[in-house]
Amino acid sequence: MGLRGKAAVAGIGMTALSRRSGRGELALAVEAARAALDDAGMAPGELDAVLSYHMNDSAPAIRVARALRMETIGWHNDISGGGTQAASILGDAAMLVACGVARAVLVYRALNGRSGVRMNTASTGPQERFTRPYGMAGPIPMFAMAATRYLAESGLGEEHLHAVVAQSRDNAAANPRALRRDPLPLAGYLAAPYVCTPLRTVDCCQETDGACALIVTTPARAPSAPRLHAVVRGGGPGCSAMDRAPDVTAIFSSYVAPALWAAAGMAPGDVDVPLLYDAYSWLVPRQLTDFGLVHPADLPGHLLARAHARVNPHGGLLSEGYVHGLNNTAQAVRELRTGHAEVALVTGFGGSYGSAALLVRP
Amino acid sequence: MGDDDLSGPYLAACARGELVVQRCAGCGRRVHPPEPECPWCGGGELPFAPVSGAGQVHTFTVVHRSFAPEFRGREPYVLAWIDLPEGVRAFGRVTGCPPERVRIGMPVRVTFEDDLPDLPQWRPL
Ligand SMILES: [Zn+2]
Repeated sequence: MGLRGKAAVAGIGMTALSRRSGRGELALAVEAARAALDDAGMAPGELDAVLSYHMNDSAPAIRVARALRMETIGWHNDISGGGTQAASILGDAAMLVACGVARAVLVYRALNGRSGVRMNTASTGPQERFTRPYGMAGPIPMFAMAATRYLAESGLGEEHLHAVVAQSRDNAAANPRALRRDPLPLAGYLAAPYVCTPLRTVDCCQETDGACALIVTTPARAPSAPRLHAVVRGGGPGCSAMDRAPDVTAIFSSYVAPALWAAAGMAPGDVDVPLLYDAYSWLVPRQLTDFGLVHPADLPGHLLARAHARVNPHGGLLSEGYVHGLNNTAQAVRELRTGHAEVALVTGFGGSYGSAALLVRP
Repeated sequence: MGDDDLSGPYLAACARGELVVQRCAGCGRRVHPPEPECPWCGGGELPFAPVSGAGQVHTFTVVHRSFAPEFRGREPYVLAWIDLPEGVRAFGRVTGCPPERVRIGMPVRVTFEDDLPDLPQWRPL
């Protein structure tokens, strides 16, 4: 969907990220929403729509609206879904704004992902009835099996995954919000225990308590705010259902990348800062080539030379924390505000289904 | 995976130590895991028929930390998708060799002799 600036992200807000928030999801959502409203210079009464995504682990939109003392609410939805939503929920909000259905949309994700409902045992789909009796549970073994074959086919190994994680830690070093900021030398990486080969603990993002919120509104109401240029959502056969997928290593980006460039009228070289959904280390190289940011033949050297340092400058999901990807979306806005970046790419992963958005400086 | 009654014949065959896979009466292609309709031609007649029991590891992971509570303490174990020469992909554990020996492309054969006796497992040739 080409939006060509018909919607803007006027504000972002986040709670502290932790492993034990000690608060309910509603309190987290409200704190992040108020921070985003403050950031946008708006009052709750100026909002007329609320969108969120959840996996039965969040606070409903109408409760958040009530807690914010929005008197009435217009369009609102609690979208059932996970990481696939991280970019496309901006598209949902932008459609409301661009169609004149809403003036200003609150978008949030709130979860106690560590102390409450944990993701590591979340259902991965109906095929679990078939795989669960063998001791396969949660997303990690599934995406580990995709990673095994991906590494074999792409010529990458543990030193390349280390480069991804170590760079993420280095990028997070200056980010006070980040949960993991210490350098990770190769020996430390190799010493980390495997969860499911080839993924070690440090190849997986850390389950996190926290919330993130964004305010999407019309460009007229936020003339200097980053604009949504294009958003796409889709998917196909791949690592989400390996029983019949021709390529079990395929993730969402192999489907949405061509659609994104077509909708945007842009090319990979236009991206200044990529915010790639990095719940697992191997998703970074896979997306770098799928989105055309790196040629596959150059990939191993690119990673070892740390030429990917501009990816997730805040440390991403691997190091900052895991607000189900929406914290990467917030970072896209921060990057465009610095004035050093004109175009930011942000992505949302849920296996071979997902989304991507391009945001631009006005 | 479809309904329970759909996988009934499959599980019954497993219980007697036999691996069976649907074959579409319409297009002749094999279908696995069991489906109510052929994903290739839409045909609804999908009787189960035996397969050779041979296969090759398509991809795998060695689980060092299980998120299935009843499997905690039984790690490490290998989960794998197995390409069958009949043209379908089966799931299971690779047993009978150290986990670190498992490779993509490794030839395996079905076995029902393991600690999950009523489910097909895969053993290196
Ligand atoms: Zn058929």
